[in-house]
Amino acid sequence: MKRANIFLVLIGGLFLAFAIIFLLFPRPEFSELERRELKQFPEFSFSRLIDGSFTADVSSWFSDSQPFRDDFMTLSMAIKKGMALKRGTGDDQFVFHQTGDIGADMVPGGAEDEGPDDTAAADSDRDIPQGDISAADGEESKMSKSGILIVGSGDKVRALMNFGGSPSSGNAYASMVNAYNDALGPGVKVYSMVAPIAMEFYCPEEARKRPGLYKSQLPTIRHIYSSLSPGVHAVNVYSALSEHAHEDIYLRTDHHWAPLGAYYAAREFARVAGVHVPELSEFDENVIRRFVGSMYGYSKDISVKNAPEDFTYYTPRDKSYTSTFTVINVDKDFRMTGESKPFKSSFFKKFKDGSGNAYLTFMGSDFLIVKVETGVGNGRRLAILKDSYGNAIPGYLFGSFEEVHVLDFRYFPHNIVEYCRRNGITDFLFVNNIFNACSSGVASKAKALLTRKGSSFVAPAPKPETPAPEPAVEPQQADAPEEPAVSVRDDDGDGEKVSAESDSLPF
Amino acid sequence: MVFSDLFFLFVFLPAFIILYRIGGRADLRRSLDPLHPSHTWRNATLVVFSLLFYAWGEPVYVLLMMVTVLLNYLSALWMVRSVSTRKIALIAGLVMNLLILGSFKYLGFFARTLNSLGLEVPVPEISLPIGISFYIFQSVSYLVDVYRSEAPAQRRYADLLLYISMFPQLIAGPIVRYDTIAREINSRHATPDDVYDGAFRFLIGLGKKVILANQFSEISDRFLADGLDSLSTGGAWVGIVAFTFQIYFDFSGYSDMAIGIGRCLGFHFKENFNHPYCCDTITDFWRRWHMSLGSFFRDYVYIPLGGNRRRQWFNILVVWFLTGMWHGASWNFIIWGLYFGLIIMVEKFTIIPRKHKIPRPLLHLYSLLIVVLGWGIFYFEDMGALARFFRAIFGGADHPTDFTVEGALFDNFWLWITAILFCMPVRGWVSSIPERLMPRQKWITGNITLLSRLVVAAVILVISVALLIGATNNAFLYTRF
Repeated sequence: MKRANIFLVLIGGLFLAFAIIFLLFPRPEFSELERRELKQFPEFSFSRLIDGSFTADVSSWFSDSQPFRDDFMTLSMAIKKGMALKRGTGDDQFVFHQTGDIGADMVPGGAEDEGPDDTAAADSDRDIPQGDISAADGEESKMSKSGILIVGSGDKVRALMNFGGSPSSGNAYASMVNAYNDALGPGVKVYSMVAPIAMEFYCPEEARKRPGLYKSQLPTIRHIYSSLSPGVHAVNVYSALSEHAHEDIYLRTDHHWAPLGAYYAAREFARVAGVHVPELSEFDENVIRRFVGSMYGYSKDISVKNAPEDFTYYTPRDKSYTSTFTVINVDKDFRMTGESKPFKSSFFKKFKDGSGNAYLTFMGSDFLIVKVETGVGNGRRLAILKDSYGNAIPGYLFGSFEEVHVLDFRYFPHNIVEYCRRNGITDFLFVNNIFNACSSGVASKAKALLTRKGSSFVAPAPKPETPAPEPAVEPQQADAPEEPAVSVRDDDGDGEKVSAESDSLPF
Repeated sequence: MVFSDLFFLFVFLPAFIILYRIGGRADLRRSLDPLHPSHTWRNATLVVFSLLFYAWGEPVYVLLMMVTVLLNYLSALWMVRSVSTRKIALIAGLVMNLLILGSFKYLGFFARTLNSLGLEVPVPEISLPIGISFYIFQSVSYLVDVYRSEAPAQRRYADLLLYISMFPQLIAGPIVRYDTIAREINSRHATPDDVYDGAFRFLIGLGKKVILANQFSEISDRFLADGLDSLSTGGAWVGIVAFTFQIYFDFSGYSDMAIGIGRCLGFHFKENFNHPYCCDTITDFWRRWHMSLGSFFRDYVYIPLGGNRRRQWFNILVVWFLTGMWHGASWNFIIWGLYFGLIIMVEKFTIIPRKHKIPRPLLHLYSLLIVVLGWGIFYFEDMGALARFFRAIFGGADHPTDFTVEGALFDNFWLWITAILFCMPVRGWVSSIPERLMPRQKWITGNITLLSRLVVAAVILVISVALLIGATNNAFLYTRF
């Protein structure tokens, strides 16, 4: 055979093999690696054909939902990593990934204002820090692109999300909390807990020097707390966390804090609220091994995958409590379409070792209203309005309040004032990470719950989502009746659809 | 559609190859002379796929292209039919082409410029049809070549449509001149060796685009896309050098893919690049970079204006003004063109006469510096950003360097090395090693070449597919010109 033909047959064969795989093999709908649903074949319409978006979507569907895409992605990441020159093995290596698609809009334009440089917040015995913040609005808003910083090497790799907000970007949030304080009236104590993200404590010295990359979150938290009206109790988790920064208070491979960090936060809240939280040793320790969280997909850096960690969480020992779940159904655009009947279910879900969903241990989802009855009998009933950072808090408080209600500000269909009145809420806690506390979208969404009339559901989609059982979850309590389980969309994580909510982050 | 799109590679291309081969069979069957078969079915397949290829990205503007081709077709026929008025026909045709280009590419720019001068005119919002600069220039080449009797006018509209719309070179060149392929439209032959070379060339181009250019675009965007206020001096240099590599591998990769596909079909497009970053002067650079554009301006603008004989300075200025403007409707491109025009004029007096006396490394260093800074002008359409960038690159930044600079260099170390190597003529050098070592052993050297090509092609294909999945930034730079 001529050489030309040998080449054409062999390379043509390889090409054909790819073509057959890409054309005939089943296409995945979900990427385990990136924890997101993949693009679907677009719906045809004449106007979309004319403006070119139909064909563009076909192309992106084709390359997004490629068979074996996660394997190809892994190969692609290995190739990119192979381009690096190996230098030393010190712990101070870091790689900066700029990822414009993550939370690009998360911090609304605010003034560029650093405030005075911080020496740890010395306001732990005052609820609301005052006086030490100068929040004069600057001229221009600048923000570096959101990005992910990878620190360390080997099994110590830590992926960090970048915070670029300015103090005044928390104004809307503070005024929202104040509005809650007014609306809930004197009978309800309102607490605000703004959780810093891991970058605050784990950004290496050298990276801090990079202009626009690192920004301390403390001035923003201080600014928010100083803007809270006197009746609101600020929960200074910043100091509580920074004292323990050498412990595993944040997950290395996930964008959430670790249950341990949440414990210190919960203890600080309990101190402010005047209730008791047991020592950590009085909880049962549970471990999910080989956990690799969301930062792998966000950073697309294979070193994150190669550094799995233990997900350690704590469950109350010898306490009886019942948790009642109401599932909020959402459509594919995350609009609420209805809610299930309340049913009993376990607060802690159990995940296998190696599961990437370990953070879903707490309740299993964000699309929920969860009410926990503890039988403490101290007359105090707590409602927590939270993002997913808040999911890790309530488990520590089952001995501190007689009822704990866990509500997600994104998926709460009712009027919240009425809800609190009906349930006799005495304490109302906001738990939000700094991104959401800097988003005016989040603030206006939460504020809308105060004035909502009736239940707010959009008309259900023509083809309602078929509820599927949670795959990895084994209910612990045998007394749970049949569970109209958590929405199928949530096998991802707690609604971590960045695109779905442009103004709130995947938290 | 672009070549480095998985949909193109694994849906469009296989479908085209299959139908084109079936067309080849049909052509052979209806030909009386098997040595000179007709090309009816093959050309029909090529035209239909080319229109589909274009319509995929421009479902409406595909009609604009077809109408443009029709008007050019009619002007050329007019030239041939009425010899006495052929000059009028040429002028009418040229004016029509430039009007189309002017309204779709430059109208908004003109309006904005007038507004900035204080004249209130409405600014039209017209989106730029992909590849319009390329196909209008090919149309101009067609009209002028017919007028100069260098090539015959097309009798069939479909054949002219084939020349203009042929998908390998439609949206980002090279600017294939009509006289280059006029004969091949209806009489061409692709041997297995042509397909062998063409397919290999295509994969080389794919590798340049996907493996090199796309990675460099991530680096250059990281530094230059925004956040210019905090850009360090080192960051400015790394960013713009990354862009220097990006634009070369992007554009020359596209040309390789176009030439490769053309070769597989039996067309012989001219080369578009000749290792431009190995140049020793800027004059030399422009003989090696985007050669089809340079020769277009030389033959259709510079020489008709009088070339070296008459008003040379004016002619050079015009050509470089147009070269800049061709790249985009924005002042930075015009500055960029004039920058090169000026340097080339100065070179004529200074460096060129003394070239052999200056050490070559010095010449290379000088040329690369001018080219890299030129890309700085080219990159920023916003004048404020342009100024901030140049302030940073010349040391006016708040920081001389920062850790992201080091990261960009070391985390992509082998990428930089590969890019530097492939800017030099290593490919020709390496592939000639077996022949130089064993000049008589044709059988052995042929097999070594085959084996190495097989390995290179397979590696490029696999890596490119892996990198294309999850790629977000994949458009070719030159499709927007």
